[in-house]
Formats: sequence, C-alpha cells, structure tokens
Amino acid sequence: MRPILLSGHERALTQVKFSKEGDLIFSVSKDHNACAWYANNGERFGVYKGHQGALWTVDVDPNTVLLATGGADNTIRLWEVKTGKLLKTWEFGTAIKRVEFSEDGRLLLGVTEKRQGQLSTVIVYEINPDPEAEQTSEQSLRIVCDELPKVTVAGFSYLSKYIITGHEDGSVSKWDAKTGELLQNVFVHDADLQVTDLQWSQDRTYFITASKDKTAKLMTVDELEVLKTYVADTPLNSAAITPVKDYVILGGGQAAMDVTTTSARQGKFEARFYHKVFEEEIGRVRGHFGPLNYVAVSPTGTCYCSGGEDGYVRVHHFDPPYFDFKFEVEREKENQSRI
Amino acid sequence: MSNPAGRTTDWAEDDEPDLATALPQPQITKNKDGTETVVTYSINEKGQKIKRTQRIRRTVIKKRENPRVAERRAWPKMGIEAGRAPGPHPDTTTLGENIIFRPVAGFKSGNTEEKEKDDKKADALKKMQIKCRICSGDHFTTKCPFRDTMAPEGEAGAGAGDGMGGEDGAEGGLGAGGSSYVPPHLRKGAGATGERMGGKYERDDLATLRVTNVSEFAEEDELRAMFERFGRVTRVFLAKDRETGRAKGFAFVSFVDRSDAAIACEKMDGYGFHHLILRVEFAKKST
Repeated sequence: MRPILLSGHERALTQVKFSKEGDLIFSVSKDHNACAWYANNGERFGVYKGHQGALWTVDVDPNTVLLATGGADNTIRLWEVKTGKLLKTWEFGTAIKRVEFSEDGRLLLGVTEKRQGQLSTVIVYEINPDPEAEQTSEQSLRIVCDELPKVTVAGFSYLSKYIITGHEDGSVSKWDAKTGELLQNVFVHDADLQVTDLQWSQDRTYFITASKDKTAKLMTVDELEVLKTYVADTPLNSAAITPVKDYVILGGGQAAMDVTTTSARQGKFEARFYHKVFEEEIGRVRGHFGPLNYVAVSPTGTCYCSGGEDGYVRVHHFDPPYFDFKFEVEREKENQSRI
Repeated sequence: MSNPAGRTTDWAEDDEPDLATALPQPQITKNKDGTETVVTYSINEKGQKIKRTQRIRRTVIKKRENPRVAERRAWPKMGIEAGRAPGPHPDTTTLGENIIFRPVAGFKSGNTEEKEKDDKKADALKKMQIKCRICSGDHFTTKCPFRDTMAPEGEAGAGAGDGMGGEDGAEGGLGAGGSSYVPPHLRKGAGATGERMGGKYERDDLATLRVTNVSEFAEEDELRAMFERFGRVTRVFLAKDRETGRAKGFAFVSFVDRSDAAIACEKMDGYGFHHLILRVEFAKKST
C-alpha cells in the first residue's frame, strides 16, 4: 500500500478522526488549525481557523454537519463542516483535552484539564444538529473529579447511557450519563501511567484503552472487565479497533521529548497491528519520524490514518493481504463449516 | 463544433456542416469477441482526408456510493483552500513510499529480538549470585567481614570456575561442554532467531517455485503473467547477467498459497516458453 502523506500542519498532530462514512478525515494539530481532508485521495477540503492555542482534540458528529474542536485556548468551538463557519464558542477555565459526540450526535462532551487550582471536569452540552440553529450555552451535565485523579480521555457508551473516563493514574471510571453519578472505578493500567486514549467499537459496547504503561486493553462497558490485553514495547499514545477485520491498531513511540536522542528505528514509531481475539502481533507499518499521537480507522474498515509528532498525517488504504489474512484456526473453522 | 440541429451560431462556421456531410458517416461494427470497431473520418489541417479505425472494448464498472458522500465530494472548498482547483495539491498532499504490509501470525520484529537479548542480559546480571570466596556469603570477597582472619580457600581456580558456571547458565548455553568453541549457528536457539542473510525479507520457501531452462530473452513481467494465472504471486525473481542484462536461465516465483504453487508447478513443468521447455520444481531451502 502507498500511504498518502498529508502535510497541511506545521506542528505535531494531536488527533485525527474519520467521518462516519469514512470519506473525510479531520485533523487537529498544535499549530492552532483544524483541517478536513478527503480520505480517498488526500485532497484538502478546508481549514478551520480561529483557535488561539494548540488544539488537542476534534470530533465530528455522525451526520458530518458539525465539527467540535477543543484546545489550549480554553475553548470548545463548534464549526459547520461544509462552510467552515464558527457556530459556537464555549469558554472554560482550563484547556480542553478531549471532545466527543454521542452516538446520535445530540450530546457533546468535553474534558477540561486540572490546572491553576481548577479541578478536572467532564461537561456535557445538548447539541442541536441543525447548523442554522442557536446552540445552548447551558451545560446539561457537569462532572467534577475532585476525588479521582485528573481525567485524560472520555467518551459516551452505547445509547449515551454511560460516560467512560480514563484517568491520569491508569484507572478507568464509569459514570451515569444522566445523573453524573460515579458507578465504578477500576485500575486497569499500571499505577501513575496515564490512560492516553479510549476508542470505541462500532456498537460502543466495548472499547480499547491505550496507556503509557505499554499496553492497550479491550474492556466491556457494562462490567468494566478487561477482555484482552495487547502488550507493546513502547509507551502507547493511541489504540483503535478495526471494523471488518478483527484487528486492533496501536500507535505510540518514545515520548516526544526524548525523540532527538534516539534514531527513528529505535524510537519504534510504528503502527502495530494485533489480532483482536488472539492478542498476537501480526505486523507493523513504519513511516513516521516521531511518535504516533493518534491512530484512527475508517468506519468502513478499508483504511486507517495516523497523526504523528512529526506533523504528518499518513493515510493508508489496505491491500488485499490485509483482508485475506487468517489464523490457522480461523481457516480450519471455515473449512469445517464448509463441510 | 457540434452543431447537431444545423443551426448556425457563427458566420465563420457556416460552411462546416457541408464539409461534415461530405465525409462518410462513422461506422460501428460489433466483433465476435465483444469488442467494437469504430471507423471515423476527418480532415486534417492540410485538407487530407483521414480514416481512423479504433477497436474498443466497453466494460461497465459499477460502483456504489453513499449519496451523502457524493454530495460532500461536490462541496466547494473552504477556508484557505477556497477557490483552488479540485484534486490534491502537492503542497499539502504527497504520496509516500510503497509499504508492503502483510499480516503474519507470530510476527516478530528484529527490534524486539535485540530487546529481549538485552533484557536477558540484564536479568542474568540481576540474578547472578554474588558469592564470597571466604565465607560463601552473598557479598563480594573484598567486603567479607572475615577477610583479615581467614585466607581465601582454593583462590583463583575455584573462583574462576564459579564465575564461568554462573555465566553459562544465564547465556542460554554456549554448548554442551561449555569449554570447547561452538560455532554460532550450532548454538542453542540459534536456528530460530538467527538473522538470515539478504536482509529482513523473510522468504516463504514453502510456496516458492524454481523455474529453470528459461530463455535468456525472458522478462520478469512475462513470467509473472504466466504464473499469476494460478494464484497470487508475491515475488518473481529472474536471475540476470549483470553485464549483458540477459536472463541467466533460472527464476524463482513465490506464491501466497502453497496449494497454488503446487498447481502451478504441475501445470507449468514442461511448458514451452519462447524456444525452450520450462522445468518447474519447488525451490529447495537455501542453506
């Protein structure tokens, strides 16, 4: 496969996201801009300008009408995808580390950072999916994390029933998305190594977490039970579950501050593919010069892209071997069912 | 200059329809193999009559697209991209080098092996027992509290022996004897982890065919085309003379599936290619 390199950003990428149909890629970077790209040929559709600080996070609603971005200028901004018009700005006391739409696009959550005496919070807004409509300034829910360590990642579970958060100390919590009540808090990753990413399966009944402790874990929403563990040899920044094929993709690499002291080979700046069920590594894709900050898989399952500390987004469309690959047991099972 | 209704839009084009009628009409004939032959006539700048014959095969490619995706594709660009021509621009979009990504069970990168080795060494160091030669306690001999009162027994011989024994266990065995030299490829665990010559590309010898008696004018593409009929071919290597650039007479063809390779081996053995008869067999593992 020939990767498409998207070089529209001047600084490190922080997050990349696909639209629901997998045709558009949204990328945010520390250079204050968000970009939209066509996934099939890498053409840049447009740039969303307006933020005053580094961007940490981006999400697009399921209709690909609204785009939410959050960053170090302490704002969440809502854009119209098609025109690039700024629809709404919500201001906060500290930086926004994560935004995510619910499955139906009616709710938007944001995670604020703990700093300057402010506590880490998860806030939820009700979103009007019509780009012409006025968006509310009123939070429908606000979860303040005063007892737990700071939240690093968060997302809505299936049917927007729960909010799952990942914390700085490697624990994962479940909250009631209606009342904001803490239901469960489990330690899944090594203590004091933060959860760096949380991505959903297609039906949002389970998710994968990535952590600096060099592992990624597949967990259920209902019990917060660890189903699978994928062990890597480098701190992980991101993990994604692939639709169509049962794989997971992990991205990471040495911390950005140590990069200059190591060669690209040692830095392990590769996307690692694991089999989702057998937990076995099946391959790697090289290319970035810096750690991978985020990996995202198209919901169609035919391509994935990674955003790196090197300022590039690399879009990979999978070749036939990716789809043909099967473990011996899978082949046997198929043969048996044929007989 | 399409003027289907014969309606004139410009006085300069007035006489063109006459010329067009003077030329024979294009002829389209359908061939048996599904192609069409189209014969058209035109007049070039010198006023000569040109007959052009084209053979066309029409294939219908059906592609389904989500209407919303199609709609988004037609959106005008916005932001700093507004007004730019459609299609990727080289300042923001480039193609990277081709990456061969083939998932394999039991993937192991060269890096992890080194790492494991390092880990092993570190572990061995950690586990290495420190034994005092005077009192057999777990401290260095120089730090022994009885150093002044008791002399080290059996000095050098015993000490060195102890050290060697410890290392042997940790390194995973230099060999059975421990004292005699064992070449690297015979050492324990060397067969599985040893790096092969010729780089990182693991050759799948199981599905590789050796093709001999190949004509010296053969090309890799020809071979690939011939063998691709039997299954997906991952690699075709045709040995060529460095100076003349001609084939040396043998080639290797790797398949994804061994079963495909077996069929190809059976079918292509004895096949007449150029002026020679091919000989095809499974490649033997290189030593």
